[in-house]
Order: sequence, then structure tokens, then C-alpha cells
Amino acid sequence: MTGQAFFVLTALADGPRHGYGIVSEVTELSQGRVKLKIGSLYGVLDRLSADGLIEPDREEAHDGRLRRYYRLTGDGRRALAEEADLRASTARVVRTRLGLTGPEATGAAG
Amino acid sequence: MSGDLDLEQRYRRALRLLPGYYRDKWEEDMVAAFLDGWLTGDPDEDSVTMEYDRPSRREVMSVVGLAARLYLGGASAPRRYFAWGQAVRGAVLAVMLAHAVWGLGQLVLFARSRHLIGWLPPPPGGFWPALGYAVGYAWIVVFVALVLVDYRTARVIALLVTAADLATVLHAQLAGLLVSPFASWSYWVLLDLAPVLAMAAFHRDAPPVARRPWLLALPAWYLLVSAPVLAAELTGHSAWVPDVPGLCCLLVSLLCLAHAPRAWSGRGGTGVWSLTLVLLAAVAALDRITSLALYQQDPHLINVGLAELLILAVAVALVAPDAARAQAPVSAPPPHLRLG
Repeated sequence: MTGQAFFVLTALADGPRHGYGIVSEVTELSQGRVKLKIGSLYGVLDRLSADGLIEPDREEAHDGRLRRYYRLTGDGRRALAEEADLRASTARVVRTRLGLTGPEATGAAG
Repeated sequence: MSGDLDLEQRYRRALRLLPGYYRDKWEEDMVAAFLDGWLTGDPDEDSVTMEYDRPSRREVMSVVGLAARLYLGGASAPRRYFAWGQAVRGAVLAVMLAHAVWGLGQLVLFARSRHLIGWLPPPPGGFWPALGYAVGYAWIVVFVALVLVDYRTARVIALLVTAADLATVLHAQLAGLLVSPFASWSYWVLLDLAPVLAMAAFHRDAPPVARRPWLLALPAWYLLVSAPVLAAELTGHSAWVPDVPGLCCLLVSLLCLAHAPRAWSGRGGTGVWSLTLVLLAAVAALDRITSLALYQQDPHLINVGLAELLILAVAVALVAPDAARAQAPVSAPPPHLRLG
């Protein structure tokens, strides 16, 4: 799973969002490090929907235009949970190898 | 109003770069998302925004990037776009293979300069020849990186190599060393710049390359084609050896002839290769035509070049109908986005 797909799925984890709502949420989640362009976002949404990980939720009229909201599917929720586990375990390994965990890193030894 | 278009229409104009099937599915949604990034809900401010603002360059570039990925599609793309994607990927790999074979030849010459091989003439010294050698080796890395699906490395090195070649041609032109500036610049555009830009076809949706045949093609081409040509030149038989553009025309013609029985068998699944060969034939023909400018003083070599073009045209005509079948009308994408 690419980083962009991971962030998009994460943005939808707590409820449906429309296109620009996903962009804003990804920016916030990544603390400004990932700024999705609309062209990139719809490339990701197209792939995730083709893979059955997201689906349309509803459409709402806003200023004369229709906003389409997307939500995670059951498969999307499972895929996101697996990816989060993988990334968390990788992060633990990295922290261990860099000496950022354990008594020395936490200052207990000092 | 500037240009009689408002912001929404300007976005819709940019989205016309995308294939029709994709616009049918996503255009309204994308326009809404673009405009959500601008509009504040204040009617006066929004009215000014709609009238005078324009899509940012970054937004337009993201649409261009998406269009490139869609037209040169991956495995999940409609058949026509997948065929084009595979054909462009195949043609780019073939051009990179040709560059890599040339780089392999440079390596052999370098080995000679270090007295590792005794019977070859030593290469010339100096900065520009040294840069030429470095470029040759770098093309080998680009080719191998593409085959090994390290697209980022391939793109970065290919861009550096293209810039180095640009500097070489520019230097040669300023020093008055070019026999035909038109031929040299055409070569750079056709065989350096265009393939590097076409590397956009190697995106994350592109299926991986069949590694073994492409990697084997590098030593095979060198041993079966380049080494005999070099031997012929060193033994005084260079009059029988075509120049590089001619050699490429003949090689593509041979590939077309070898592929023609399968293309005519009607078994299906051959169209992508046929389309790849048509693209390669177009590149080889353009290279042949532009390089004829080098032979303005030699009608015999012009005639040889025209004969090579004729052979190529006949050979590619055998696979062209199959290539056309590979671009059958786009089938409707699966209705996975239906609301319900």
C-alpha cells in the first residue's frame, strides 16, 4: 500500500468525507508533510474503489454542485488495520535499532 | 471577465486532458474538490475568485500526471489504454537497451585503454570523451534499473544523462564540430529526451517487466550484433556495415518479420507487441531520415538510407493491422462507483 493510499484510508477511518475533505484531513494527519493534489487524490480514489476498499456514501448539494462522499468498505477497514499493524511493528523495530526505546533512551538508566 | 471563462470552466478545460471514460466518472467530483479549495462561502469574495483566479500550475501538473498515467495505462486500465501503455513501455525499454548496448561497447573500449584487451584501438582522451564514456555506463544503469522496477533511479539517472548529452551537443555546436547540427539535435530529441519523457509510462500501476528476457537481451545484442560489426570495422570491412540508424532500421525490420506470423495467426494477444514494433519503427525511421542530413555530399549513402527505409516500411506494414486491432474501442469500466 502506498503512503498516499494509507493516508486516504486513514482519513476515511472515522467517517465519510468528500474529496476536498480528504485532502484537508490528510494534510492535518501528516502534520502538513503530505499535501495531496486533486489529480493525485482521484488517482488514488480510483484505485482504492477498483480494489473495493472504498465506496461512495452519499451526495450532497453544496453551492449548486454535488459533493460526493466516500466511506471505507469492510475490506478497506481490514486492509487499513493490517497496514497500520505492519507500520507500527516496523516503527518499533526502527526505534529499537536506533536505541530510542528501552531504559537508556527513556532516561531510566540515568 | 478574463477570457470569458470562470474558474469552474477553467478547471473543466484542464480536465479535458483526461480520457473520456475517466471524465465521465470523476469530472464533477474533481471540479467540486478543486473549487472547495478556493471558495470561502462569502458571496462577494467567491464571486471575485470565480472570475479572476486560475488553476495553479501545480494543480494543472497533477492533472497532466494523472492523464499520462491513464493514457499509458496499467493492468486495470481499459484495453486500449493498457495496450498503449505496454507499447510505450516496451519501446522505451528497447531504446534504453540500445543505449545500454552502446554503453557496453564503451566499457569494452575502456577495458582496451587499460590494456585489458589487446586488439582494440585505444579510445581518445580528454573531458568530453570521458563524459561520453560516463554517459554510456549510465545508460546501462538506467536500463537495468527499469528492468528491476526501480523507476525512480532510472528516471533520475536518465535525466542526468540527457542533460550531459545536451551539454555535449551544445559544446560541439559552439566549437563548430557538428557535421550536421540538425542531425545531432534531432538525435538528442528523439533518442534522449523523448524516451526519458515517455518513462512516465513506468508508473505504479504498470505491470513489472519480464526481467530475464530483457536482461539477456543486453549481452545477446552486444555479442550477436555489436561485436560482429566492430570486428568487421576493425578488419577493413566497414563498407559492408550499415551505420547505426541503418542498423536499427534493419533490426526493427527483422523483429517485424519474426513477429508477423504470430500477428497474422489470429490467435489474439499479439497486438501489444505489434503496436510496440510500430512505435519502434517510427523512431527508427525518424532517426534514419534525420541522420541522412549527415550524407548530403554522398548520394550513394542517401540511396542506401532510402533503401533501409523502404525495407522498414514493408516490414512494419505486416504488423500494422494487428497493432490497429490492439486499439479496439474502449470498453466501459466496471461500475464500481455506483451509488447505492
